[in-house]
Amino acid sequence: MSNLYIELTNFTEWLLGLVAALLDWTKLGFLSDFGEWLQTAPVVDFVSTLLVAVIFLITAMMFGLCFIWQERKFLGRFMDRRGTQVGFLGFFQNFADGIKVILKEHIVPKDSDHRLFEMAIFAYLASTFMLFGCIPFSDNFYVIDVDLAVLLGVAIFAFGPFSILIGGWSSNNKFTLIGGMRAAAQLIALEIPLLLCIVSVVVITGDLSFVGIVTWQEENIWLIVPLCIGALTFFIAAVGESERIPFDLPEAEAELVEGWATEYGDVRWGLQMASDYFRAYILCGLFTMLFLGGWAGPEFIWAEAWYLTKVFIVFFFFIWVRAATVRIRTDQILKLGWRRLLPMAVINLLIAVALKVTGVF
Amino acid sequence: MRIEERRYTKADHFRPTGYILKSLQTTFKGAIRATKHRPCTILYPWERLLYPDNYRGRPGIVLERCIGCARCAKECPNKCIEMVDFQDAGKGKVKRPQVNLGRCMMCGNCAEACPTNAMIVTPEYELSSYSRAGLIFDPVRLQHPYKPGYEVNYKFALLSEIAAGGEVKTYAKNDPNVHDTIVLDGSKCISCSRCAKTCPANAIEMADTGEVNPKTKKPIKHPKFDNAKCVVCEQCVEVCPKSCLSVKEVL
Repeated sequence: MSNLYIELTNFTEWLLGLVAALLDWTKLGFLSDFGEWLQTAPVVDFVSTLLVAVIFLITAMMFGLCFIWQERKFLGRFMDRRGTQVGFLGFFQNFADGIKVILKEHIVPKDSDHRLFEMAIFAYLASTFMLFGCIPFSDNFYVIDVDLAVLLGVAIFAFGPFSILIGGWSSNNKFTLIGGMRAAAQLIALEIPLLLCIVSVVVITGDLSFVGIVTWQEENIWLIVPLCIGALTFFIAAVGESERIPFDLPEAEAELVEGWATEYGDVRWGLQMASDYFRAYILCGLFTMLFLGGWAGPEFIWAEAWYLTKVFIVFFFFIWVRAATVRIRTDQILKLGWRRLLPMAVINLLIAVALKVTGVF
Repeated sequence: MRIEERRYTKADHFRPTGYILKSLQTTFKGAIRATKHRPCTILYPWERLLYPDNYRGRPGIVLERCIGCARCAKECPNKCIEMVDFQDAGKGKVKRPQVNLGRCMMCGNCAEACPTNAMIVTPEYELSSYSRAGLIFDPVRLQHPYKPGYEVNYKFALLSEIAAGGEVKTYAKNDPNVHDTIVLDGSKCISCSRCAKTCPANAIEMADTGEVNPKTKKPIKHPKFDNAKCVVCEQCVEVCPKSCLSVKEVL
């Protein structure tokens, strides 16, 4: 149990007790019974979990928005310009954009599959927001810490391109369809090296929960040192998985307008755009926890701050790659995935197994 | 800067990372430079680029020097200069240039052509207006305080000297030695003296030719050109009813 959970459980107990006292004061029998039911353990658990989830979602989304700011500013420097200037250091650009997309009209194409069209984008967003729950900030600040957290996170992550494909198909537009197809092809090419890299980490640490992996790294060594090949492979595959340049084939602006999201307008498009960054944030978080020791670090600042610092540094490399490279072709991405990254991941797995078998760790 | 010519070969397929590392290095250097010094872009309303001394912004005019020769209007490639009536305090009703800055391309040719350096180039470039009429600068509005360097001077060489292959001299603007001249075809002249009346530089004088009109018994007068005063504005050539004047250019 994390401190956050304990504190919020106490808070929820106090809050529900207050509500129950208020209901009791009405002197109505059924309301008093309802108040008593509110104070039972399952309800308190449920409400406190909900509160934790909301707090965690808002925190993670705020840092996701910071990613957009970071990309704007850093990409500006990479391109010899200043980046956004709205508000203090450009911090309010995201809010200005958000207000703009909220005020836009919601347009559904006439010939589209309306139900799937509306559903797909929310499936994509839901999978992104669910991922926030899988990624802990520290051993005190997380939503869930199940034993199979790594598998759960990767499984939810793989759900995203599925909704992209549905969204692209249901829009009834050639651009969106091609974008959806590309997303699926890219997923298959890059998911396997990504998973093999995670497997190598799991082999060494012998734990499938993020807290366990980070604890192992705190006690022994950051895994980027023995598994440098795996870290590189994971990084490349992560850039591809988050559909960023140079692997932004599903939404290649020059060829496919906005790719699979061409037909989405208003706040749905805004959230889709933001969720690209949320997914990049999640992948940076995964990289941090798997290879950079997560929230491990000297204790003069909070563990969460260590974690976020590392995440922002990893995202700096994402931006750097974006500034330096151009979009590659579909056949190149598949060749890269199958003929370069997959052997590298296998070699990395062999190294991990060798290290474990010879008893180094 | 050398641009490397490179083709995608099979060998490239085995070393893609080398090229990625190179571009990473290039962009990182750029980012360091932009952070250490300052980015290429400027925050325009608050920061401005320094303009060079010979910057050609909007044209301006020093009305005291203008003689109304209309050479600027003739030279203007966009035909945005028009000679309009202007009530001058000393000289009375005269013609002075009015510039439509909506069409002006800031080439400064008007200032280059001006024989008295009354037309100048100014460093002003913020010329936005709420209406097109606001962009038409009449002679009063066109005025700009003069500073040395605002006038456009140039040097030129003669084509004939270059063709001859000998020594090629450079001449300054308004050099009296290489001055175009107005040539009179005396057989056509009817002595109307319109050229003398229209000349802005008072360079034309109606002089006796020594002949006498057999019908009216009056002496025949032909225009005589004072090359020191003439600015070759060609107004006399245009106004001549019998087309007996022409410009002899120095080539």
